[in-house]
Amino acid sequence: MTPICQDRTVRARKATLAAKKTRMLEIKQLKVFHGMIEAVHGIDVSVSEGQCVSLLGPNGAGKTSTLSAITGTARSTGSMRLLGEDITQISIEDRCRKGIAISPEGRRIFGNLSVRDNMLMGGAMRKDRAALLSEMDEWFGRFPILGERAEQMAGTLSGGEQQMLAIARALLSRPRILLLDEPSLGLAPQIVAKIFEIIRELKAREITILLVEQNAAAAIGVSDKVYILNNGVITRQGTASDFGDGSDLMDELTGVHS
Amino acid sequence: MKLLALNSAQRQGLLGSALLSLVILAIVGAYYLWGESYQARMLYAVFVNLLVVVGLQVFTGNANITSFSHAAFMGISAYVAAICVTPMAMKVISLPDAPWGLNAFELSAVSSALLALLITGLLGLATGLFMARLTGVGVTIVSIAILVIVHSIFLYRTDIFKGNQALFGIPKIFDLPQMTVLVIVAIFFARMFRESAVGLKLRASADDEVGARAMGVDVFRVRLIAWVIGTLFFAAAGIAYAFYLGTISARPFYFNFVFLTVSMLILGGLRSVTGAVFGTLLISIGLELVRWLETGPNIGGIKFPEVLGLSGLLLGVVIVAVMAFMPNGIMGNREIEELVKRKR
Amino acid sequence: MDYLIQQSLNALSFGAEYALIALGLAIVFSIMGLVNFAHGEVIAFGGYSMVIMGTLLTNNPLVLMVGVVVACVFASVALERVAFRTVRGADLTTGLLTAFGVSIILQNLFLLFGSPRPIAATQFIFLDQTIALGSIRISSLQVYETLTTILAILALMFFLRRTTLGMAMRAAALDFEMVRLCGVRANRVIAGAFAISGLLAGLACIFIMARRGSVQPHMGFDPVLVAFVACVIGGFGSLPGAVLGGFLLGITEVAVLILLPQSAGGLAHAVVFALVALVLIWRPDGILSPAREKGDKI
Repeated sequence: MTPICQDRTVRARKATLAAKKTRMLEIKQLKVFHGMIEAVHGIDVSVSEGQCVSLLGPNGAGKTSTLSAITGTARSTGSMRLLGEDITQISIEDRCRKGIAISPEGRRIFGNLSVRDNMLMGGAMRKDRAALLSEMDEWFGRFPILGERAEQMAGTLSGGEQQMLAIARALLSRPRILLLDEPSLGLAPQIVAKIFEIIRELKAREITILLVEQNAAAAIGVSDKVYILNNGVITRQGTASDFGDGSDLMDELTGVHS
Repeated sequence: MKLLALNSAQRQGLLGSALLSLVILAIVGAYYLWGESYQARMLYAVFVNLLVVVGLQVFTGNANITSFSHAAFMGISAYVAAICVTPMAMKVISLPDAPWGLNAFELSAVSSALLALLITGLLGLATGLFMARLTGVGVTIVSIAILVIVHSIFLYRTDIFKGNQALFGIPKIFDLPQMTVLVIVAIFFARMFRESAVGLKLRASADDEVGARAMGVDVFRVRLIAWVIGTLFFAAAGIAYAFYLGTISARPFYFNFVFLTVSMLILGGLRSVTGAVFGTLLISIGLELVRWLETGPNIGGIKFPEVLGLSGLLLGVVIVAVMAFMPNGIMGNREIEELVKRKR
Repeated sequence: MDYLIQQSLNALSFGAEYALIALGLAIVFSIMGLVNFAHGEVIAFGGYSMVIMGTLLTNNPLVLMVGVVVACVFASVALERVAFRTVRGADLTTGLLTAFGVSIILQNLFLLFGSPRPIAATQFIFLDQTIALGSIRISSLQVYETLTTILAILALMFFLRRTTLGMAMRAAALDFEMVRLCGVRANRVIAGAFAISGLLAGLACIFIMARRGSVQPHMGFDPVLVAFVACVIGGFGSLPGAVLGGFLLGITEVAVLILLPQSAGGLAHAVVFALVALVLIWRPDGILSPAREKGDKI
C-alpha cells in the first residue's frame, strides 16, 4: 500500500499526461430523461485512456442516470463518443460490444445462475472460449472466495462477494471502459477497503474506469479526476489533488445548500 | 340540508352520464322515427351488449385485470330468470324432465328478475372472494375456468338447461323502452362507481398496486366490490336477454361472446365508461356491415362471394391494432364531458 | 393391477402432452411476461401444414413429422416477429390481449382459407396401435408420447444449463436488461424462446394428429386452454411448474374419469377446473411460482 502523498504525486503527474492521451469517453451537453422528467441538465464529462474518473454527488444527483445514458438504458440527448466514435444511436448490446461494461447499481448479478454461469454471461459475446475460461480461472485465483462458491447460486452470496462477482463479470467482456456504480453501497468498511484495493489494481493495469460513488474519500483516493454532480449539473471538477480528502465537500455531497 | 356532497369529479360524472344518455336517447329516437321493425331486435341486442360491456368496465376496466367469465354469469342469470318466469304450461313441454319441481311453478317477472340477481350476485360474491386475492394472470385463467365450468354444466344438465337446444316459451316481458331505461341507469351507475371513493382506490391500485397498498388502500376489498357489482351488471344483461328473446340456449354464453364484448371494451378504451359505450356502438355497426359483406351482397350488380370468418377476423384485427397503436383505446382515459369541454 | 398400470400410463401420456404445451407457454412467459394465447394456433398451423405437405410433397410420415416441427417453429418465431414485437415491454394486459387478438385472427384465417369442417390427415395414425404385454393392453402412442416428453425435457434442461443462449434465457427471466448489458442481443434471446416454444408445440402437434387424424380451425384452442391451467397451478413462468402442472392435470383428469360414474363423463372437464380453482385458493401464485425479488439486495 503506497502512502497517500506519494500516491497523489503519481496521480498529479498522470493527470497532466492524461491531457496528451487519447480520449476514451467524451460526453458533451448530456441530458438524461426518465419518461418526461429531465434528470441531468446538460453536462460535459471526459475520461482519458487509463484514467480513473469519479462522479460524486448526493442521492438523486443524476450520477446513475449518467451511467444509464452511457450504457444506453436511459433516453438522452447530447453527444457521446467512445474513442472518437459516436455511440448515441447504438443499441445497448452493441455498446457493450464496442467496449462499455458496467457493474450496475445494486450489482444485479443473476441470482438464479451459479457464480460460474454469471462469469460466463460476462463473456457471453466473446468468441474465444479458451481464453475466456482461462481468464475466469484468473479471477477465481484473485477472488478465492468466488472460486470456492463457483457452483453455488449467485443469489446466496454476500454483498461483498456479489460486488466482486459483478466486477469480474463486467471485466470478462474485455471492455475498453469499466463503469462502476456505487460499488461500496451497503458494504462493511473492511469489504469496502477490499473493493477499493481491487479498483486500485485495475488502475495499475491501465484499465479505464468511470466510478460513481457516494463515499467521496475512498473515491478521491483512487481517482485521477473528479466531477461533482448536484441536481443534474456539474458544480465542481478538477484533478483529485484539488479535492484533498474530500472533507470540504460535505455540503455538496449531502445536498445541503448553505 | 346537506345532501350528497359530490366532489368535482363526481359532478363531472353526472354530466358525462347525462351526455351519454342523450346519445342513447338519440339513437332510440332515430329508430322510432325512421327505423324498420326488424331493427328493434338489433338495437335491443346492442343494448344487451352495452350492459355487459359497461359491467366489464366496472371491474376489468377500473382494475386493469382481464376477466373472461362474464358470459357465464350472464348465462346463469338468463336461465334462472327464464325458468322462473316461464308459465308452467310452457315449462311442462320445454323442460319435461326438470328436477326439483322446476317446471311446477312460475313467478312474476319482478320476482324472477330479483331471484336471478340474487343467485348470480351470491355466485359473484363467492367467486369474488378468491378472485380478488389472485394476481392478474391468475384472475384471467380462473375466469376462463369459471366460463368453461359453467358452460359444461349448462351442456351437461340438459334436464334443467336443455344444453345446446333452445329453452323456449319465455314470455316477452321487456321491450325497447324498458331496455333504454335500464341502459341509462347502468351508465349512471357505472360512471358514479368510477368516480366514487371505491372506484378511485381501485383505479389507483391498477396503476400501482404496491403504492396503493402503501397508502392504506384495501386492494382486496375494492376489487371484491367491483367484481360483485360487475357481476350484477352481467346478471341484469342476462335477465334482459331472457325477457326479450323468447328462447335461450347455452351456445351464446361462451367464448365468441367473450371475444366480442372484450374487443368492444378495448376499442373504446377500458378506462372509461364512455369508452365502453362508444366501443360497443362502433363494433356493433361495424359488425353489421361485415355480416352484410359475409353473406355475399349484391353491390352495384356485382355479386360478392360468401366469406365466413370475416367478422371474427375483423374483431381480431381490431384488438391487435388497438393494442399496438392505442392501447388505451379511442377514449384513452377520458370521459365524454372532457371532449365537450375541449371543444369550447 | 393391470387396470392400474393402464390407467397410470393413461395419466402419464395425458400429462405428457399437457406438459409439452405448458412448457412452451412457460418459457415465453418467463422471459417476456407474455401470455401467448396464440400458441394453440401454432399447433393448428402445424396441422394445416401437414395437410398441405401431404398433398403437395409426400406421405412419408418421417418427412411429415420433421415438416410439422419445422412449420411450428417457423410459425412461432414469425408470430413474435410480426405480431408481438410492437408490444414488447408493454404491460401484462396489453400483451395478453394482443396475443388473444392474434389468436382470433389466425383461427379465422384458418377458417377462411381452409374450411370450417375437419380436413382429414391420417398419416400419423399408425403411431397409435395397441400393444399387448401379457394381460395388459396399452397404446403405443402413449408410450411414444411419454418417452418423447421426457426426452424433450431432458434436452431442454441441457440446453438451458450448458449453452450460452440457454443461460441467457434463464438470466433474462430474472433481469432482461442486464443480459443486454452483457452484450447478448435481446432479439436472439426472444427468438430462441419462441423457437423452443414452437418446437415443443410441433412435438405435441404430431401426437395430437396421431390421435385425431384431422385438422380444424379451433383444434389448437382446447389443448392450449388446458396447458394454461397447468401453468397457473404450477406457477406461471416456472418451467418445472409447467411440467408439474401438466402431469398433475393429466393425473387428475384420469382420476376423475375413473371415479365419476359413466354418465357424468362430460363433467370431467368441469370437475378438473373446479379442483384447479381450489388449488389456486390455497396457493394463489401457483405451487412452484418463481421467486420474485422484492426490493434491492444491498
